[in-house]
Amino acid sequence: MAKPTSDDIKTLIEQFDQSDWKEVHVKTDDFELYLSDNPNSVGPPASNTAQSSVPVYQNVESSSAIRTPEVTPPAVAKPVLTEGMSGVTAPNLGTFYSAPKPGAPPYVEVGQSVTAETEVCLIEVMKLFTPVKAGVSGVIKEICVSDGQMVEYQELLVVIEPS
Amino acid sequence: MTIKRVFIANRGEIAVRIIRAAHALGIETVQGVSLADKDSMASKIADRAVVIGPAPSRDSYLHVNTIVHAAKATGCDALHPGYGFLSERAELARACEKEGIVFVGPQAQVIEDLGDKLRARELAEKSGISSVPGSGHVESPAAALVAATKIGFPVVMKASAGGGGRGMFVARNRDTIEESFERASGEALEAFGDGTLYLERYIENARHVEVQIAGDGRGNAVHFGERDCSVQRRYQKVVEEAPCVLMSNVLRKRLHKAAVKLVSSLNYSNVGTVEFLFDVECDEFYFIEVNTRIQVEHPVTEQVTGYDLVQMQFRLAAGEKGALPLQGAISISRHAIECRLNAEDPYNKFMPSPGRINKWGPAKGAGVRVDSHCYDNYLVPPFYDSMIGKIVVTGNDRLSAVRRLQVSLDDFHIEGLVSNLPLLREIIAHRDFENNSFHTRWLEQDLLPAFESAKKEKE
Repeated sequence: MAKPTSDDIKTLIEQFDQSDWKEVHVKTDDFELYLSDNPNSVGPPASNTAQSSVPVYQNVESSSAIRTPEVTPPAVAKPVLTEGMSGVTAPNLGTFYSAPKPGAPPYVEVGQSVTAETEVCLIEVMKLFTPVKAGVSGVIKEICVSDGQMVEYQELLVVIEPS
Repeated sequence: MTIKRVFIANRGEIAVRIIRAAHALGIETVQGVSLADKDSMASKIADRAVVIGPAPSRDSYLHVNTIVHAAKATGCDALHPGYGFLSERAELARACEKEGIVFVGPQAQVIEDLGDKLRARELAEKSGISSVPGSGHVESPAAALVAATKIGFPVVMKASAGGGGRGMFVARNRDTIEESFERASGEALEAFGDGTLYLERYIENARHVEVQIAGDGRGNAVHFGERDCSVQRRYQKVVEEAPCVLMSNVLRKRLHKAAVKLVSSLNYSNVGTVEFLFDVECDEFYFIEVNTRIQVEHPVTEQVTGYDLVQMQFRLAAGEKGALPLQGAISISRHAIECRLNAEDPYNKFMPSPGRINKWGPAKGAGVRVDSHCYDNYLVPPFYDSMIGKIVVTGNDRLSAVRRLQVSLDDFHIEGLVSNLPLLREIIAHRDFENNSFHTRWLEQDLLPAFESAKKEKE
């Protein structure tokens, strides 16, 4: 395999970033790349050819200099998804609306059954409203944000127990 | 009015710099980050960080609507755009204005006028600043000869549609006009599908000199002296210093006056930089453009004037009384030099080299300032500019600053990441740099070929 170009690597990283994979480990004779979504990752599984010609990520598994980065707790504790549950996350930063218009009944309520196509909320950015769909069929377990609250990109909005 | 909370629409070292300046003034900070920058230093030191989008800039740092929405929703009354990204987009300044958010920068109209390079040249002309003498379009070698005679030799032929040095040929006298024309036109046609050319006076020994200015938006403006940024690669600055000791006091005064006159005629608000080409042989300067933002190299000016330019940006944006110092209060003393540290491989065509920094060992000591967002175990993401920090040293004079920089660069150590440190060491240790005898093409024409061949010999 030819040595990948920086564009190859960039593409790989972008695709990894957009995927739901936890880690990627690519290795050829003179190239090694390890990607992980875990900031505390200690690197790829130890291998017998640790000396890679690519400086990026090399020595990651052996270095004792690594310290766990200090993670500042977020201003507000963000809900996390428990095992077996499915989450609907914000497709972009914006304002969360639980109902199609003020005073109208909400799109969904806890305990309600939904299909993948059911709209669960609206996200607004500068007067541009985007409906967000459930993505899976199941039962709404939790609505994590309140009406009119700003949500960040990929913030957990709704928890669904898949059926 | 006062600013209570600012949204930082940028990343990297400048975001860190802005947050610290804001905190020093008692302003709260909200840092907008992409998903890739969630664990960045700016994200950690800001009072609050919000994820504005995915890693690619176009969906995060370049997304005007999302940024303004985030600023509003987090209760910010001001927005600082830093440099690069949206900093010179009139659209962002307008959107802020519409939403009642103070944009920490010049007025939208000023950004727009100066962002249009031809319009900027006209405005400069009106203030009596000339640009490099040039011609309009030339269609034939005969027309080129007429234009060249008018401008004066040597001239450079440039492709109208061009950029990046392609389709550029120098004619030193009338005998070489025809040949240069044919070659430039041929290459322009091949590279850009358009063989149209124009001529400019070719300045052999040029320096890039720029004046730091600030204005209060009511026609009052002052300067903070000049910077010399002549060590460049592909029009990217690598080393910057203040002041430009090569310039005579007479010319320097004229330069400062020209810059101040231009920006005060526009009622310029906030800080900015007027860039010039300094023709050393002819002892003359020519207008290039105005940058309507804080610049990467602003620290060298801070070091020699003692003013904190980012804090000044906030105070000017808030319309604070006395935010603009009197010209008489600003004086230049000592000498400062800055180097840009990049995650790129100078031994391999300057390929970007993002990755994890296992150990970050910045230079330290008296007269040494490092502006950076890096720390041990920081992952330099591959999505953005490769700059990872700036090393700024200050000395009593240029020579002592050069010596201090040489030592600082030797002290600097980065583990796990390839950087341009070896090249920076080579530049600052070079006799030409120490002797201050170089020009804007020196790095590319003289130093880099030697740097590369020395590396081959070693192998």
